Amino acid sequence: MRPSARPILLATLALAAGVGFAGVRERTPTYAAYGSAVPIALLPSLTGQPEYCLTCHDGIEEISAAHPTEVFGCVRCHGGQPLALDAETAHAGMLGGRNPSAFDVVEVACGGADCHSGPSDEGLDHIHRSLVSLQSTYAGAIAAVRYAFGAQPDLAARFAVNAVRDPEITTPTGLHSLDALLPVAVTEPPQVQALGSRCLTCHLGAEPLDQPGRRRMTGCAACHAVTNWDGAYTGGDPTISRNESGHASTHRLTTAIPYTQCDTCHNRGNYRLVDMDFHERTDLPAGGSASRLQAYYQPIAQFTACEYQLDCIDCHPSGEVMGDGDLHSRMDEVRAVECRTCHGTLTEGPQTRSIFDADDPALRQAHLNPSSSLQVGDSVVVTKRGETLWNVRRLEDGTFELTAKVAGAVYAVPQVAGSSCEQVVEDQTSSACHECHAVERH
Amino acid sequence: MKRPSFFEHLHPPSIPEPQARFRYTLGLGGLSVFFFLVTTVSGALLLFYYAPTYEQANASVQLLQYHVPLGWLVRGLHFWSAQLLVATSGLHLLRVALTGGFRAGRRFNWLLGLGLLVLVLGLDFTGYGLRWDASIGWALLVGTNLLRQIPLAGETLFGWFVGGPELGAATVLRLFGWHVFGLMLPALGLAVWHLFRVRRDGGIAHASSVEFPVRRLPRRELVGREVVAMLIAGGCLLALTSLAAPALDGPLDPAAMSEQAHAPWFFLAVQELLRWGNPLWLGVILPAVALLALALIPYAIDRGRLLGRWFPSDGRLSQVLAISLAIGFGVLTLRAALR
Repeated sequence: MRPSARPILLATLALAAGVGFAGVRERTPTYAAYGSAVPIALLPSLTGQPEYCLTCHDGIEEISAAHPTEVFGCVRCHGGQPLALDAETAHAGMLGGRNPSAFDVVEVACGGADCHSGPSDEGLDHIHRSLVSLQSTYAGAIAAVRYAFGAQPDLAARFAVNAVRDPEITTPTGLHSLDALLPVAVTEPPQVQALGSRCLTCHLGAEPLDQPGRRRMTGCAACHAVTNWDGAYTGGDPTISRNESGHASTHRLTTAIPYTQCDTCHNRGNYRLVDMDFHERTDLPAGGSASRLQAYYQPIAQFTACEYQLDCIDCHPSGEVMGDGDLHSRMDEVRAVECRTCHGTLTEGPQTRSIFDADDPALRQAHLNPSSSLQVGDSVVVTKRGETLWNVRRLEDGTFELTAKVAGAVYAVPQVAGSSCEQVVEDQTSSACHECHAVERH
Repeated sequence: MKRPSFFEHLHPPSIPEPQARFRYTLGLGGLSVFFFLVTTVSGALLLFYYAPTYEQANASVQLLQYHVPLGWLVRGLHFWSAQLLVATSGLHLLRVALTGGFRAGRRFNWLLGLGLLVLVLGLDFTGYGLRWDASIGWALLVGTNLLRQIPLAGETLFGWFVGGPELGAATVLRLFGWHVFGLMLPALGLAVWHLFRVRRDGGIAHASSVEFPVRRLPRRELVGREVVAMLIAGGCLLALTSLAAPALDGPLDPAAMSEQAHAPWFFLAVQELLRWGNPLWLGVILPAVALLALALIPYAIDRGRLLGRWFPSDGRLSQVLAISLAIGFGVLTLRAALR
């Protein structure tokens, strides 16, 4: 070899190495780590824009039957970059991180007149109802504590976790607006300050405490995306860790919400006014192994069979849980279901109405639940506030049956009329029924 | 006898051996030419996919990056060669300043080089803006608002670059126009002129061959060295492009910009100055004075005559000035980067 040829040869090798790097990079895109050798395209009919999210997320569950993947795709709700094929760029501009139903982005992600910010008379104002509901404002608890420590003269709510306004009041107890508690809490009695600093973790917008059994998402997904005990994902998306909390158990939204989801906030313990702190229950067995009865009720509680055999949502319908669209001071202002709603009185059966229209909101709601067999022509129970309990149906023989929304089991609903019940119609508190019908916790 | 071609006019037929050594030139001028060529060719290829509209600009970059075969490579080569061009041309300027290469009839070419550097910075900044993603918004706003600070002509210049009273739908097309035509055409012209002037001014600055006769490298050998340098630089460029993709975020919405400044690295020094106070004085006048001081070196500051060596003893003032400016730029850049 001539001496002058050697540098050129070595330099050519350097270039070849560069070409080699480029070749390897071209042949091994980052998404290949998740199993797909080529990009996976999706063309949602709603947007008409191609998306490549499934290239990495191939195997993820369809979010719900009401949001078919081929119609909605991913980006309509989650945001992000539909064409990108590396995680950092693809996830830029995502709405709410992994949770587009978080309340700070829910209007952009899930709103719109055709989606969940529709007219209230068609039952499509889900976002507004959630944002002003007591579960979001925490107004009842705040008002009660302020009243107890002399910061306000009555139990009417004045403050919420965040400032909130309701431009349209539809009920006699509805409020126009609530101010944010935290900015004023510093000037309040010490107990209210403690409430502000320690006790605002249970409302729907708050991140949950990082403890087993408490893990849930926020916003709509706090209830509608079921989480398991340790908050880890168990579905089919290859990109999501199975060992990390902070995920729904699968990428599914459901209206069949099990009591365990309610228990991520409820039934965990008690607030004590004495020290204004939360005291965890000590009667629960470790590791989430509590029986349904143990999980539902603390040892001193009284309850009837239906109260723990059914799931919470079987008796607390949407109007109670998500509210009626008004800001309220207390739970009893939105409470619509009483024992007599399903069991009737000594002289009258439950109030019912018939479904005549295939587009009836109650029928739409029923069809979101796989357990429902409700159809046009059926008669269903109505609460005293006019909300339809689509899962309590009057049969042709005049008897009533309840379909459990989560388990799908069907129960006959015993009626007070014609029985030996000593019901006092005016007293519909649960304790009145418990006097005769309570069962013991074993 | 065969008549020399145009390219043979641009390329020296021979070069004095001491000045052909790597430790004299550091290969910076040649590397700048190489990176300029790579940037130009890869940029021409990008034109086939880039859509200079408000709605499509970012999406077309994503399409190119992720779905066009080897699109990531072309974009990466364009990006990295542009960054390296800024670096090598800046260092080339410093090398020429510290070797007195602007002396003895070469001072006009010094001005051409300075103008070329300014155009390269403009090209890099407009190219940065063409990405039109969320990460460029704040720096683009700050950079274009600096134009407004220029007395008398500021608002007009701002309008020329932004295409309206604020960043918006017209801005992408304006940036594109300036990038591929308004700045590129003069840069191409100046680059050719700069190379031509090197030849016209007697080749690379060197001591008088009458007083100090030295061996000269013939063209064949010089081209061989240049090819070696280009192959190595090309290999490094390919490796760099393969290992580090240029940043890409979601589309820019000028109405909802995050206040996090992600200025391009060569702009960090100005960004740091802007933190200290008045934008007219610190963002416009101070950089302009620095540029003017550089421009004046061969005309008013340096009277030396020695050529072809590092740190000639008769040019201390210009060397101190150039090094001070370089250190100032480096310190400001580092300080901003470490924030």
